[in-house]
Amino acid sequence: MELFLQRCFDGMFTGAIYASLALAIVMIFRSTGLLNFAQGEMGLIGGYVSLTLLSPPGTSGIGFSIAGTGFASKWVPGHPWPVWLAIVGAVAFGALLGAVIERFIMRPLADRSTLSQVNVTIGLLILINGIVFQVWGPFARRLPSPFPNGKDDYFGIFGARLRYTTVGVWAVLIVVIILLGLLIRYTKTGLAFRAITSNREGASLVGVPIGRTLTVGWAMASAIGALAASLIGGAVSLDPLTMLNLLIYALAAATIGGLDSPRGAIAGGLIIGLTQSLAPPYLGIPTELTLLPPLAAMVLALTVRPHGLFGTVPVNRV
Amino acid sequence: MTATIDAVEQPLNAPRFTRRTKIGLAVLFVALMIPPFVTNPLDLTKLSRLVVLVLAVLGVNLLTGYTGLISLGHGVFVGVGAFAMANFVDTGLPLVLAGIAATLFTGVIGLILGLPALRVKGLYLALVTFGIALAFPPFARRLGRLTGGVTGRTVDNESFVPPGFLGLNDQVHIWRYGVCLIVVAIWFVIIRNLVNSRMGRALRTLRDNEPAAATFGIHVPYVKAGALAVSAAMTGTAGVLQALLNPYISHSDFDAFLSLRLYAAAVIGGLGTLVGAIYGVLALIVVPAVNDTLELLDSDAVVFGAGLIIMTFIAPTGIAGLFTRERAGKSRGH
Repeated sequence: MELFLQRCFDGMFTGAIYASLALAIVMIFRSTGLLNFAQGEMGLIGGYVSLTLLSPPGTSGIGFSIAGTGFASKWVPGHPWPVWLAIVGAVAFGALLGAVIERFIMRPLADRSTLSQVNVTIGLLILINGIVFQVWGPFARRLPSPFPNGKDDYFGIFGARLRYTTVGVWAVLIVVIILLGLLIRYTKTGLAFRAITSNREGASLVGVPIGRTLTVGWAMASAIGALAASLIGGAVSLDPLTMLNLLIYALAAATIGGLDSPRGAIAGGLIIGLTQSLAPPYLGIPTELTLLPPLAAMVLALTVRPHGLFGTVPVNRV
Repeated sequence: MTATIDAVEQPLNAPRFTRRTKIGLAVLFVALMIPPFVTNPLDLTKLSRLVVLVLAVLGVNLLTGYTGLISLGHGVFVGVGAFAMANFVDTGLPLVLAGIAATLFTGVIGLILGLPALRVKGLYLALVTFGIALAFPPFARRLGRLTGGVTGRTVDNESFVPPGFLGLNDQVHIWRYGVCLIVVAIWFVIIRNLVNSRMGRALRTLRDNEPAAATFGIHVPYVKAGALAVSAAMTGTAGVLQALLNPYISHSDFDAFLSLRLYAAAVIGGLGTLVGAIYGVLALIVVPAVNDTLELLDSDAVVFGAGLIIMTFIAPTGIAGLFTRERAGKSRGH
């Protein structure tokens, strides 16, 4: 029981990360009908930016200084920043990156086929990964957690340890969802966003600024991705390959929840996180193969319920 | 959400051999004759290993370009082919039979992996195949003796030598290069005939309009599964040849980036044309070579990523499209 609870708590931490990335994927899918394969890498570069912002110049994680710290200490006032501020910086960077990608890469291709647009996101995946590899090197780095993450920083619940980081990450995720909900419900941009989601051509006919709204959408999605990457420090180390696996978990989460449902993304993230921590010990799956249960869950969901748990079931006119 | 593609529309009855094609083939033939005379054995073997990837790129092309199904997992089939080959050789089969068996085996694996994947539409297939590409290396690592586990395994390629009467006994690498080219050529002929057959027309109809294809009496699931099996099998052959050229293979040779690279090469070369695969592999050969010579980047991923994006902007039909544009008139859509 104790062990079961402990595994659940562990799964909840990673689940929150998957949920945030899945949320980012859902936001872009809802507004553009596009699966953004570059979402993970867009977050990854945000995570590295936060690493650079919070590391003093010349520090060595494992014998190599972190790229960009020299530049940052020269040009960024008050560098190195405290963890929280570095995360804010990474989120701002993520937003900018998302906006730039939408404005200069995705928008010119808006009337191309879905395949072309997906190809570009795959190109971005490879490109950003290459850039990260080139700039920050292949080493695994440990991002400090913004929450107390010491040996004794946990709530004891029936003998299991619910770590502060897990609670903190969920708190952040909930705040993000509430802010996002408020934004979409009560602001003019949010209204435009909803209009585009329900009927893009109609929205454009009544004068909704499609381009600008999508730029904001991509910026927000990318910012959420950067936030997720900056928060993984509590459990996972950051290296150029981290996000490839996280991306597939997040895509699985988004698919299971329903690609057009933010609620589904959260539920899906939690499901994947729990599957990942519970399936190996109880089904006897070796830890190296933790990728298999989420993958199987995704294929199962796609086969049995292609529109996910919370997704809209499309109506086809024949 | 069915993925349609910006391909140069081919007439349904493709002409037999135009003058251009003949000249192109002649140039290609001459170009392929040069490397054995100007490179050392090591470089020629390295080149052969890249040349056989043309089969994998053509496999991606058959699926994505002709059928409209995105596969981000073809690196897996290269790996399956290579490991299958190693094991069939172990059983004492002659090389040719082992190669054919490994090819068929990969086709069957493609079918098994594909059956659930084909139930899902368009983009979801990309997602599932990408997941499989990521899961393959750790999975292969667990297979123990079959794949050599963590460290990888050797392939017994000692019988992959020229027959005595050719007098090439001290030129093994040239013989191997030649065999690779011949196998690749055989697959090209098969695929050329396939895409110009009833099956090929079915694939393209499927790509352009799935409901219409069904209305014409095309059995959509069968045709998709068939395309996937053939595509996986030919990619498996690439793995077979790689295993023979480089007798040491390990799970890390077949990671997700191999799959992404193959996909990028297929798109950059040109989807929906046979020659596109050749241009794509040319990119796979030239980019790393230039990068290594000039010592520009730690990883040439940047070039492939940027190439994929830039090509989508300036030449949605790939390098192949650049050369056929004036002939085909306006390419569709833009």
